Amino acid sequence: MFLAASTGEDLLRAVLQGAPPGSVYALIALGFVLTYKTSGVFNLAFGAQAYVSAAMYFQARTEWGWQVVPALILAVFILAPLIGLVLERLIFRYLSNSSAVAKLVVAIGLTVALPSLFELVTGFSAVAGRTPTGIIPGGSSVFYDPFGIYPISRDELAQMAVAMVGMAALGALFRFSSLGLALRAVVESPRMTELSGINADRVSAFAWALSSLFAGMAGVLIAPRFNTLMAPDFFHLVIVAIAAAAIGRLASLPGALLGGLGLGIFIAIFNTFLPRWTADHGWLRPFQENLTPSMPFVILFGVLVCWPAIRRERRVVDPLGGVDPPPPGLAASTRNRRLTLAIRVFSVAFLCVVGATILLRADVRWLFLVTQAVILAIIYLSITVITGFAGQISLCQGAFAAVGAFTVFQLADRYDLSVLAAALVGAGLAAVVGALLSLPVLRLGGVWLAIATLAFAFFFDAVMVKFSWIGGGGTSLFQGTRVPRPTIGPWDFADDRLFLVLAVVAFTVVSFLVIQLREGTTGRVLHALRGSEMAAESIGISPVRARVTAFAVSAAIAGFGGALLAIHQENVNYQNNFSPTAALFWLVLVVSLSARTIEGAAYSGAAFSLFDSLVLRGEVFRWIFRGWVPGILPISPKWRFVLFGLASIHFSRHPEGLVEYGKRRATRRFNERFDSRERERAIQETSP
Amino acid sequence: MNVLLDATEITKSFSGIRALDDVTLRVAEGERVGLIGPNGAGKTTLFNCILGNLRPDAGSVSLNGVDLGSMPVYRRARMGMGRTFQRIELFGDTTVAEHLLIAERVRRGNGALWKDLLGRGRPTSDEIRRCGEVLDLLGLTDLAEEPIESLSLGQGRLVEVGRALVTGPRLLLLDEPSSGLDRTETDALASTLAEIQREKEFAVLLVEHDVELVAAFTERTYVLDFGHLIADGPTGQMMADARVRNAYLGDLEVGR
Repeated sequence: MFLAASTGEDLLRAVLQGAPPGSVYALIALGFVLTYKTSGVFNLAFGAQAYVSAAMYFQARTEWGWQVVPALILAVFILAPLIGLVLERLIFRYLSNSSAVAKLVVAIGLTVALPSLFELVTGFSAVAGRTPTGIIPGGSSVFYDPFGIYPISRDELAQMAVAMVGMAALGALFRFSSLGLALRAVVESPRMTELSGINADRVSAFAWALSSLFAGMAGVLIAPRFNTLMAPDFFHLVIVAIAAAAIGRLASLPGALLGGLGLGIFIAIFNTFLPRWTADHGWLRPFQENLTPSMPFVILFGVLVCWPAIRRERRVVDPLGGVDPPPPGLAASTRNRRLTLAIRVFSVAFLCVVGATILLRADVRWLFLVTQAVILAIIYLSITVITGFAGQISLCQGAFAAVGAFTVFQLADRYDLSVLAAALVGAGLAAVVGALLSLPVLRLGGVWLAIATLAFAFFFDAVMVKFSWIGGGGTSLFQGTRVPRPTIGPWDFADDRLFLVLAVVAFTVVSFLVIQLREGTTGRVLHALRGSEMAAESIGISPVRARVTAFAVSAAIAGFGGALLAIHQENVNYQNNFSPTAALFWLVLVVSLSARTIEGAAYSGAAFSLFDSLVLRGEVFRWIFRGWVPGILPISPKWRFVLFGLASIHFSRHPEGLVEYGKRRATRRFNERFDSRERERAIQETSP
Repeated sequence: MNVLLDATEITKSFSGIRALDDVTLRVAEGERVGLIGPNGAGKTTLFNCILGNLRPDAGSVSLNGVDLGSMPVYRRARMGMGRTFQRIELFGDTTVAEHLLIAERVRRGNGALWKDLLGRGRPTSDEIRRCGEVLDLLGLTDLAEEPIESLSLGQGRLVEVGRALVTGPRLLLLDEPSSGLDRTETDALASTLAEIQREKEFAVLLVEHDVELVAAFTERTYVLDFGHLIADGPTGQMMADARVRNAYLGDLEVGR
């Protein structure tokens, strides 16, 4: 009896505890469904938008000393809808015909760009330990305890109240206003609505403003739960919201609402009861300790893989083929022979000069940066394989790379294995992880596949890395995850120059293998699958096998690259190198530059590693103009995120990427000029 | 004659609606069989059940005596079922020749990764020659290097036929090949198909709306109506059958 009573009490406590965050999740989930249904955008950037509003509110309240109401009006009722409107008007309206995956990539780019842009514009920076304040005075210090089991803070009450008001307002809007009717109609079918004389664009703009307002409100409400305002925390928020929205199949607003509330409560219940259960099963304890903070990702992954409704929604999606007309061939195929030869000769000469200059003249810092660029380029080849060839968006390449890096660390640390051999083992392990992961997620396809890999990346980050047999556990906090440099015969790669040579050799070999893959059967099969899965199956192609292969190869390349990166830095540096948010930026970078070519990967590596020093700090101008640097430089390295985040917008219009786009334009111009000159000559010769 | 495709007592319902009720269809080796019926008769459902895109609720499909059971689509394809699509399905960003090469390459499975990495996954000259022969047969040789996007619908459909032919099918399933084509194009397609079929001697199952094409091309015809097989027999006889006319042809003048 006693036990039952206490269990019931605990359950009630968990419900009380889970309802406030649950109502915030519901707010975001509602906004999420609203934008998804009206404009087809899977807006991952809601997390970033929530962060921006929360930071604005924090800035106004704490830094500028504003009152609650004006600060709230500025952050939630002006800034948030404004951002939504700007995004809709300038970006997403033009993407309405793009594939869902292309839109997703843009949203990811915005996730990367928005927080940095906000911080740059307002000069805001997160101060550790300065807890954001809520929207009512004494929010976190005044408690009410109606049932005598769980004291609810004023902040939590405010969260629930505001969420309820928001939902009621939305409900009333839908029910009683003509705009609400139009919204509901657009949610059902934008095309049909247009046919009945309603401007779907306007309605969709309104939906964006409204859902962004919800996101901003949610951000301000949830902020007091975090000790320090940091953008990634808000990204977690959107993950839960996606899970909530997924429960309602992304289609139903009440479903999203109940999903959000339910998830909040479920997480609280889970956190209450799981520790007790694991107390009896000691071996589960470390798992549980890490699982608690990562519940959102586990839930999202679980919902995606197990919720039958989502699987039924599966469509064949091609991120590079979603635009109409289909992407033309690579620029190289339209060049004439003389130009190709000239470009080849020039680029080889250029690379030789650059290489020689670096090897002979570069100092330690530049050697480091260039080597890092080359190694990152290897990792980016993994994106070339999975996204460029197989047409799948994977957001867990960071986790695959980390598998390689940690393998090297563990094998070198425990068994004193040669790090290069360990790197190969790491690549193999990553391949296994990739293949295993791909089995459940491949059935999803398209956007859901990307989201499932994202959930896996965060799960890996929150749970797996904490295990001592992966991330080194507690000792690594003090000693770091150190990795030695290798020696082969007479060559000691502790020398940075020699290591750069090794990295270049590795990149060349991996590129060669990737090209072999593209030209071989696997490349053809993947190409066929991307074009038409049905037709591919009809000639005997096994889609599952082909995609699992692509995943495994991609993971192996990422693992190998990650291992090399760890060896180069003589440390895994997990947080800096491989965190899920860093890996999001990788994807944005590679697809905006060029996901289909080896060159694209190389440029992306250079952009990630060198762009900051070369351009943002103005070094390149210093070299060219002998010391002169444009007045606006140097500027903050955060611009890198902003610029490449926004570059993803270009990707959505030209899915071949910036590099290919530039090459194509140049080639076309050259061909036109060349052809016209030829023609003129021909005319002159024939005329008497 | 040897029975190649044997679909026995196929039943399939969609949420209460019987799309197919106890339908039996056989195709002998080298035979040209038509499958006709008005809209909603269950032709496409039967087609999908045979190809493995749908699982029948009851009944069995076997090819050359091997029960196909729950075999996935691609394994059925490897066993010798080729097909074309009503709405043509081509792989974008390739040329006509590359299209056939993909099919040729996967003829014996997806291909091994290690072979690709060692550079042994590229098409051999033998394979290129075989694809060239199929192109010749279809009269597409001139278009071999054209991008697939530049083809007309009729040419695209021929590429689909070619893609299926390269895999060496014993049974070719044609899903409304005349849809979207005008009379001349349809006639051209029919004569090309007949020619190739005479040469390669594979069996054909033709699902078609266009009665003239069925009449000209097939030897035997099955007629479906509301999920029931209402008649089957030699094509000429079917066209004259009163039940068939009643259900499908109305008082259309056929056969000339």
